[in-house]
Amino acid sequence: MKHVAIALSLAVLGLVAPRPHAASAQTLFVDYFGYDYESPNPDPLQFGEPGSSYHSLGLVPNLFLPLVADTANNQYTYYMTNLNPVNVQNFGSFIIIDYAPGGSFEVWEDAKPGGTPLDFGINPPNGTAPSSFTDGNLFVLGTLDQFQIVLNLASGSGSFEGVFTVTGGSQLGNVPANQRTGWTFAGTTANELHRPSGYDHQVDGQIFLNEPVPARPSSWGAVKARYRQ
Amino acid sequence: MKIRNLMMGALLLGAVASAPAYAGPVIDWDPAFVYGPGASTTFAVPGAELKAVGIVSLFDGPLGGLDANDPTTEYTFILKGLTAQPTTTTGPPAFTFYTTNYIGGVIELWAGSPRNSSFAPNPENAIVPSTFQDGTLLLSGVFTSFYTQTNNFTTFKTGNMEGTIIWNGGSLLSLLNGGNGQPCPGLFTGGMTWLPSVLIEGYVFRHDGKIDLNCPVPAQPSTWGKIKSQYRD
Repeated sequence: MKHVAIALSLAVLGLVAPRPHAASAQTLFVDYFGYDYESPNPDPLQFGEPGSSYHSLGLVPNLFLPLVADTANNQYTYYMTNLNPVNVQNFGSFIIIDYAPGGSFEVWEDAKPGGTPLDFGINPPNGTAPSSFTDGNLFVLGTLDQFQIVLNLASGSGSFEGVFTVTGGSQLGNVPANQRTGWTFAGTTANELHRPSGYDHQVDGQIFLNEPVPARPSSWGAVKARYRQ
Repeated sequence: MKIRNLMMGALLLGAVASAPAYAGPVIDWDPAFVYGPGASTTFAVPGAELKAVGIVSLFDGPLGGLDANDPTTEYTFILKGLTAQPTTTTGPPAFTFYTTNYIGGVIELWAGSPRNSSFAPNPENAIVPSTFQDGTLLLSGVFTSFYTQTNNFTTFKTGNMEGTIIWNGGSLLSLLNGGNGQPCPGLFTGGMTWLPSVLIEGYVFRHDGKIDLNCPVPAQPSTWGKIKSQYRD
């Protein structure tokens, strides 16, 4: 009976618990860099135009606990996809692009010996991109919501951010169930001279996981008393 | 006529050239932290200095021989002397962008032993920046441009900063040489956030970024005859 009460009270507390305080610690999850492009790209002279879709892919050089990675023997790559613009706002040289929910962020693990080295190629999608970034073992799968890109078309640089939620991949079991939401951000720039042809920006970003939602054992009496106050 | 030939030749060569093998950024970090009176999420104080310290997490390209995870050596960098110019704003109150340009400024890459640096709160103090500029000076350079871009509307308080570097010193300077025998310019870039939950007290920005080498693309004069013969081989 006591176990049932604890379980129920945890569920109740979970429903009413406030979001983690802004000052709480967050955990660095992965660090990534690469390039982005649009496909389809109805108007190559615009970014975020209706009918386009945003993609980014590249290398994940650093992965952090609770992920268990082997960077000595494996290559880790990422692929962001299914990001479709729904709103574009222009303010001077700045542009804000908001995307529909349901984007995805994938981390793939591919053996260095015998695996396929990443190859951006040119004018993606092509014979090696995204395929050489999405082969091997799907290590982490997550969704991207509230994804937003901010660009300064005058300087050629900007940033993006979005809410990230771990939903699958071989590492899902290593991520505590109460710590599967977080967020990502990155800087973007079109000012690198050696960007492969057909890619729009260079990208350098990170994903954080929010602090675990706290929980503690309680009793029905304590829960009831809390709501009588 | 010759100029047109040169242009056409360049176009032809560009059209058939394969993409170069991918090399990552020469220096990557996660993170660096930015501080100083010249750093602001909105309006920087004109004339005030912005500084940053960071720990390198990856080397590639001409610096690929360095191991950022060497247990006995720590690779760190420092930005200093960046002087804020008046911040400009764009957009309505609900969507305001803040852009601050900086003049001057240097960047230094250091290799120190042991691994002793940390982002101690409330710089400057006994640890910051001293433990980020100890050991051997590997590279130094001056900024020829630098700016920060922030705003008042992003959920996770995110923006970016970017600058261009002319390398001019350090024991590894020659490794950055391009085809002309001069060090390739550096591009300092990346995203930053001022979300309190990922900041340390006393710092204004957390920065995730890297440095790339913007080596000039080599070009040489040619003629139609040479180009044709090249494709007959």
